[in-house]
Amino acid sequence: MKTIIRNVAFGLLGLSVSAAVVAGPAEDRAAFQKFYENRFPDTPVKDFQNGVYSILPSAREQWEEIEEFPPYELAIERGEEIYNKTFANGKSLASCFGDDGAVRGQYPNWDKDRGMVVTMELAINECLEANGEKPLKYKKGAMADVSAYMSYNSRGQKVNVEIPSDDPRALAAYEMGKEQFYTKRGQLNFACADCHMHTAGMMYRADTTSPAFGHATSWPVFRSKWQAMGTLHRRFAGCHNNIRANPYKAQGEEYRNLEYFVTYMSNDLEYNGPAARK
Amino acid sequence: MNHGLKALTVGLALSVSSAFAGSGTTADHIEAATAAYKQVAKETGYQWTVTVKAIKAAQKALDAGDDQAARKLAHEAMDLVEATRTQAKLESENWKMRVPK
Repeated sequence: MKTIIRNVAFGLLGLSVSAAVVAGPAEDRAAFQKFYENRFPDTPVKDFQNGVYSILPSAREQWEEIEEFPPYELAIERGEEIYNKTFANGKSLASCFGDDGAVRGQYPNWDKDRGMVVTMELAINECLEANGEKPLKYKKGAMADVSAYMSYNSRGQKVNVEIPSDDPRALAAYEMGKEQFYTKRGQLNFACADCHMHTAGMMYRADTTSPAFGHATSWPVFRSKWQAMGTLHRRFAGCHNNIRANPYKAQGEEYRNLEYFVTYMSNDLEYNGPAARK
Repeated sequence: MNHGLKALTVGLALSVSSAFAGSGTTADHIEAATAAYKQVAKETGYQWTVTVKAIKAAQKALDAGDDQAARKLAHEAMDLVEATRTQAKLESENWKMRVPK
């Protein structure tokens, strides 16, 4: 009898897991967002875009004080200079992204012609290279500055990532990002989901882990630990280093697809970068 | 992880280590650990930072003339490679269980 019950239980578990895996992006996102709403019932949905401060009132007070004199202000100014700097051919980044660069809400997107996810930082470098300029390093420095300027001008835009249903390669890229998010890696055997979903809000040493819902809205950030600006892919790499896994290349396929998945999960929130984080 | 799987993992690691410990120079052992690391990375995409550190430390110890320490570190690197391979195998299916429904 026990064996039968066990077999039925495993069968049901298998069916429910299969259902979760075969669910489409829209179902994934609904379940994802519902998970955080259930876990943090006191947090208004819109507030998840504020990262760990949406669930940690004690730290939020300090953060709000920091935001009165934001440490990323100088980065925005530097980014504006880079954005408007005239290239050797007489053009500038404005030639690619418009007068104010307020295009954060258009990324990451699926490029059907090339069959790949394009992030805003990748597009910035492609614009530079197309105009004969040297590309920027992806994790910090000038790239983080110009990204900060463009994000600042994009504040308030809705996150609205699309996974086109007429291109199976887009779904495959999304699925790859999803697998990255839920897969344990490194000697410490952690998945993104372990810290930022299943134990979100708990303490790891002296830090509380942030919810992944809203993770992608606020980049780039000035991180106190770095004492500098950094891009989302810098943070991805840092997390992988923390769990003793070799990080992937910034703006390589793995991290672009991870960004595609994580950002899609935050659809309907607002872009609010740049931001200050611990 | 159930007991059977644990036993399999430990057994695999021990069998690799003991076979590995038997012959060859320490330089051979470091080379074998490096090759195994690269092979697992190529096959699975899984790479641990600590494995690279162990391989580098083994080479450094060998260069400094400490053969015993170098050999121990090379074996440690090989154990880490095997654990990485096991993680990749388990995670190829287990990640799906963490997706909320």
